[in-house]
Amino acid sequence: MKKILKIYSILFLLLLTAGINAQNTTPLIQSKLDGTVVDAVTNQPIIGASVIIKGTTHGVQTDTEGKFYFQTGQKLPYTLIVTYIGYKKAEVVVDKNPVIINLKEERQELDELVVVGYGSQKRKDITGSVASVPKANLSQVTSSADNLLRGAVPGVVVTQSSGRPGASSSVRIRGGNSITAGNEPLYVLDGILIYNDNNNGTAGVANAGASVNVLSTINPTDIESIEVLKDASATAIYGSRGANGVVIITTKKGTKGQDNISYQGYFGFQNVSKKLHLMDASQWASLRNDVQASIGQAPSFTQAQIEAFKTSGSYDWQDAVFRTAAPIQNHQLTFSGGDDRSRYTISAGYFDQDGVVIATDFKRISLRANYERNYSQKFKFGVNANYTNSASNGIGTNGGASAGRQPNPLVVALYQPPVVPIKNADGSYNLTNNPYATATNGIIPNPINDLENTTNETKINRILTSLFGEYKFNKELTAKVAVSGDVIDTKQNYYAPSTTTMGAGTKGLASVGDRRVSSVLNENTLNYNTNFGDNHKFSALAGYTLQYTKGEVVNAGSQYFVNDANTYNALQDGVPVKPYSEAFESVLKSWLARVNYSYKGKYNFTLSGRADGSSRFGSESLWGYFPSAGFSWNITDEEFANNIKGVTEAKLRLTAGTTGNQEIGNYLSLASMGSVNYAFGGTLATGLAPTRLANPDLKWEKTNQYNIGLDLSLLDRKINFVFDVYYKKTNDLLINVPVPLTSGYATVLQNIGGVENRGLEIGLNTENVKTENFSWNSNFVFSTNKNKVVSIGNGVDQFFPVVPNGSLLQQQPVIVKVGLPLGTFWGYRTNGIFQTQEEINTQPKINSLANTKIGDRKYVDTNGDGVITALDKGNLGTSQPKFVGSFSNTISYNDFDLNFSFQGAYGGKVFNALNQQLEISTLGTNAAETLVDRWTPTNPSNEIPRASSSPLGIVSERYVEDASFLRLKLITLGYTLPKSVSKKLGTKSVKFYISAENLITWTKYTGFDPEVSSYEQNNLYPGIDFGSYPNSKTFISGLNVTF
Amino acid sequence: MKKIIITFLLSAGLFSSCTDLEVTPTSFVTEDNYFKTQDDAVASVTAVYASLSLDPGEQSLFGRNLYFLTDMATDYAAAGVSATNPQVRALSSLTHDATSDRVQVAWRQIYAGINRANVSIDNIPKVAGTEAVKNRLILESKFIRALLYFQAVRLWGGVPIVLHEPTSIQLESLKSKRATVEEVYVQIISDLKDAESLPSTYPATDAGRATSGAAKAILAKVYLTRKDWANAISKSREVINGGYGYALFENFQDIFTKTKKNGKEHIFSVQFEPNQAGNGSSGSTFQATSFTGFTATEPADIISDVALFYDIYEPGDTRRDVSYAKQLLNPATGTLYTFPKPIFKKYLDLTNLATPANVAINFPVIRYADILLSLAEAINEQGGPTAEAYELINQVRRRAFAKPITTPDATVDLSGLTQATFRAAIQEERKKEFVQEGQRWYDLVRWGTLVTEVKKVTAKNSVSERNNLYPIPQSERNIDPVGLPQNPGY
Repeated sequence: MKKILKIYSILFLLLLTAGINAQNTTPLIQSKLDGTVVDAVTNQPIIGASVIIKGTTHGVQTDTEGKFYFQTGQKLPYTLIVTYIGYKKAEVVVDKNPVIINLKEERQELDELVVVGYGSQKRKDITGSVASVPKANLSQVTSSADNLLRGAVPGVVVTQSSGRPGASSSVRIRGGNSITAGNEPLYVLDGILIYNDNNNGTAGVANAGASVNVLSTINPTDIESIEVLKDASATAIYGSRGANGVVIITTKKGTKGQDNISYQGYFGFQNVSKKLHLMDASQWASLRNDVQASIGQAPSFTQAQIEAFKTSGSYDWQDAVFRTAAPIQNHQLTFSGGDDRSRYTISAGYFDQDGVVIATDFKRISLRANYERNYSQKFKFGVNANYTNSASNGIGTNGGASAGRQPNPLVVALYQPPVVPIKNADGSYNLTNNPYATATNGIIPNPINDLENTTNETKINRILTSLFGEYKFNKELTAKVAVSGDVIDTKQNYYAPSTTTMGAGTKGLASVGDRRVSSVLNENTLNYNTNFGDNHKFSALAGYTLQYTKGEVVNAGSQYFVNDANTYNALQDGVPVKPYSEAFESVLKSWLARVNYSYKGKYNFTLSGRADGSSRFGSESLWGYFPSAGFSWNITDEEFANNIKGVTEAKLRLTAGTTGNQEIGNYLSLASMGSVNYAFGGTLATGLAPTRLANPDLKWEKTNQYNIGLDLSLLDRKINFVFDVYYKKTNDLLINVPVPLTSGYATVLQNIGGVENRGLEIGLNTENVKTENFSWNSNFVFSTNKNKVVSIGNGVDQFFPVVPNGSLLQQQPVIVKVGLPLGTFWGYRTNGIFQTQEEINTQPKINSLANTKIGDRKYVDTNGDGVITALDKGNLGTSQPKFVGSFSNTISYNDFDLNFSFQGAYGGKVFNALNQQLEISTLGTNAAETLVDRWTPTNPSNEIPRASSSPLGIVSERYVEDASFLRLKLITLGYTLPKSVSKKLGTKSVKFYISAENLITWTKYTGFDPEVSSYEQNNLYPGIDFGSYPNSKTFISGLNVTF
Repeated sequence: MKKIIITFLLSAGLFSSCTDLEVTPTSFVTEDNYFKTQDDAVASVTAVYASLSLDPGEQSLFGRNLYFLTDMATDYAAAGVSATNPQVRALSSLTHDATSDRVQVAWRQIYAGINRANVSIDNIPKVAGTEAVKNRLILESKFIRALLYFQAVRLWGGVPIVLHEPTSIQLESLKSKRATVEEVYVQIISDLKDAESLPSTYPATDAGRATSGAAKAILAKVYLTRKDWANAISKSREVINGGYGYALFENFQDIFTKTKKNGKEHIFSVQFEPNQAGNGSSGSTFQATSFTGFTATEPADIISDVALFYDIYEPGDTRRDVSYAKQLLNPATGTLYTFPKPIFKKYLDLTNLATPANVAINFPVIRYADILLSLAEAINEQGGPTAEAYELINQVRRRAFAKPITTPDATVDLSGLTQATFRAAIQEERKKEFVQEGQRWYDLVRWGTLVTEVKKVTAKNSVSERNNLYPIPQSERNIDPVGLPQNPGY
């Protein structure tokens, strides 16, 4: 591999030198021309417009006042071609000196150039469904690039699983296709293909918490544009990685003719968006007495004590776990510019965010440089280089199967009885005075102390670089070679001192881990463009790509330290725990091709295909083939359409194709053995036990997708409408099928079953008002996706995914069932409370007669067999919303601009597991305030059952809550200094703004936030809320200056 | 120009040939490079043993998960305040149902162990190595397989019998129907009879492996459970008289002293050593769950009723203070600390109280005292107490009272009992002898006294006849509702 890369780089250099021949010629100087380019409506000068004398290669750029100047061999009159991004190209015959040229703003949306896979196309010629994220969205304040997709384009749903700074989101384009394999879209950053595998953000160090989002290593303010490729015609060129959609991110490049230095910065603060209603000390003391009474024990609090708590107050652990006004700041300095032949951007950024939960934060330093040079008219080369260094401190997350009710320190803090002091009188943390918890080595863990004193650090260094050379053989044929590398180095440090939950039993617990994943991608493409006469436009793309990924993971730990002084930096001073190392590699080879044909610009055809060979699959099915076809018809180019009033442009799109999914992890087709220990004669011996059955037939998931789209522009493009309907069917689903435990295994990975998604997407972009000093644009996005499991094979029609949490494992809150969507919650329906012994004797009960007492909850006997069993469970709704939408507005008045956007989702459910646990009365943990209204003989509640000792958690519709919401996601008010003022300050432009994120949320959901998924990117059990890190309200003020 | 195109295409071609799509894993052992040598065979049987004591990410089968079913869900033990898993609390109050996670985990761990034994039994014949060693390893696997089925058949009744590793990943071939209780016992007896040919001793470095004596001892218990008194008697006598050298420790405490592990009284024990799970844990969590430091905090595992189970020991019975601690010396202060309620003590390492996860005390699966009491029980059931039966129970009692074991001692010896009162005496003796040793539930079910005994504890009055078996885990029945009918009452 290395050798070949070497050979390859030599070839690359050869290619570089091949382009040296062609040269420009300089014209003779004979005449002069002064001119200015201005906006036709506002009369503002246009900076950086390109002005070329037609028929020559002589071109100049306008300066900061919109002025340009020619000395040329041409004599007046001659024709100038003036172009500028966002404006219509103007051809002006000049007969006098000086001249003022008016440019009209481009509203020809269908003519804009859109980035597509391995190239770009005019929007008018595109057959597939490709949406661009509006510029207004790109200027949002966020720590991670995937948040920019939120509510930006129809068909994209972004769920932030955790509000932790730098944490990951799950992104679904047109619903989830896959049950077990990855559902995240493919990201293409400046041509580099990246699957956002959050595993790359963790080195496997114990309790490191939610994985750190790899996309968060890209600075969002560096992003120039984001395109979302949705249908098969657009994504099939990405073959086995296209099934979940493709997001193409292009970073900012310098512009010709001017050098800019710009500073962008903001500072702000965040607060948790909501707090939960928990019991106070007096309420809890009374509850505990009732629980004790239920098991025949004497009360632990006297009535006088309970009354006294009302005045002496409670210890508010929830308050203690959240930070108020957590600061956030971002600073970015960018140098950009270019001349006729080169363009460059150099930027440096610093981002620093404290989380709303104590002891959590995220810092990022990012450096970026890109450079592009036209070596000759035929040969162009360039480089993109990104370096980011991020460091975050996190908290532990929902633990493994044995974690029981102890999911993470945040939740443990909520569980603390409000009669237990957080700190001692001397200000130190209370580690002894808690009769309701277990002491380990004399320490009673205190979650606030755990958070403050546990080191839980993830540091990621990422280098993302690409080099490319492009050679134009002639007008028609271009070859491009690109080599890119992506290196992610993740170091994690963990130390739990002897005073914390994790460290108490072992007198300190330290671990360090490192994960290094490097990926080399080579892409070689040939592009051919030609016209046969005026009517036939033809282009073709062919290419070969190869991606090689190698990863190495190592972690080690130690415990039983003499003291807590050296934390994780002196593993040798403790007793080592079993170390771990791992290596993996994967190869993906691909051949790709695409043909576009357009007849008179009216009828456009696209055929594309990709053949992918992946090392991840079974020996019987290494290669997969992914074809697609698309057709679009520009109706308004037909003669009959000329007379339809108001319709400026109309285009119909029809596409079909197949894409695949290879995100299953490495080596899963092979059987494996795992090591375990047993002691003989007092000495540990290593044993090897089978851990996975082999499946040589393991193959690609394939998705067939059909799309019909309509693009409509009305009233001179004041109203732009995009409408898509689609149907996707995914076959050969990779499922970890639960098998009988009697086989010795819990699950087997197999290609069985199918899932379908059908949906409708509407995008409506309107220019409501546009005058010289006032404008108002709106963007409305609506999408609905209906997901359904079609089959899961093996002759079964349902299975319960294993939710990796001690409390939820056996509750089985989620079902995968044919005919129902993924993420369907499955449970009982409640039916009030047993009020009399008579009711108990005659009505169906969940437990035996002896166990059910007056005041216990009734459940509905749906099958009417007289007892409540698992057979009475039913569909309680799905976490997938019926529709999602957003409505964004940009209003500008003179120098002020106002952006605000609403986002909402309707019809999705969330299983509020945290509330379920908080409504379980125990002797040792705090409870939800709703239990104040529990059933007692004097308060015959028909909603809240009696106090009892740790009743079982039962999935019922009470805890599967409506997660519909409408949210004022973002509101920003900006003021740009008038040009005259900013010029006096020696700047080109100065803008101030204030902004608020998540300001108002309207929802019935009782947890922290309706947009939640405790299990991150998982598609089997989304929408479970087990105390995820809550989202925050953020207020910032910022400044953008360009020099 | 042409040259450039050619080199361009050539380069792409070169690149493609360089990397193969078949990548070889380097971080785990695959089937292809396993079961070649005798060392592989040894390692695979080590894994069979490890199924008793270690399950990464979960608590161990013996020494923890079985404890919930065989002890906490009986009369003497209960879930304390520190037991926060509602499923554990449900078992303690006998209100558990088919979705109980502890029942499912025990089922899974038992069958995972059976599968490991099956893998060894199926594959060891094909490795290169000494026939004698290979044969021994297969018999050890059969012993563990029988031991696990013996737990399963008592906990759930007729369970599926799986005797070979899976050969296909198709669900239908992975399903197994419930067999009858009789069929399961036939299989257990067959495996144990084979295992009787195991060596009777091992070199010290192999201490802890299954022996011929262990196979006979478990077989005796199997016969006893089946009320096959004649075979129970003869098999117990083979253990006692077979020249294995088994004897009672003079000191009851020695059974649970880490320096005395695999001693003369230990017939088969699950071995625990520090660092077994790789994270410093011994696998057995009894110390952490029985002792929460010198504080008033109630541990996870507690005695359910002090009057019924602690105060019953006669004066001088050393078993009380080995099984329970009312007071304990706090090494930090040098003073005796008095607990609000006696705590379980058998698995506390008093030399190592500070590091509860690092305890190296074995869990006795079967020890000599059990064989003595089993033989006494079988003899009595066959025709009332005999002199031999009296001597057996009295040896156990004399040791308990720290008297010379083989010297008759009127102060502690039992005499003059009827068959019924002798039966009651055996039952009382076992209750005092085997605290926290995974015997109580099996004993009560065998005697048919589970409901009456457990009902004596107020907090456990939910007990009913259904509790003589555990429910088949709901998750298993979801996959195969037809082949796995549920036990009555669940």
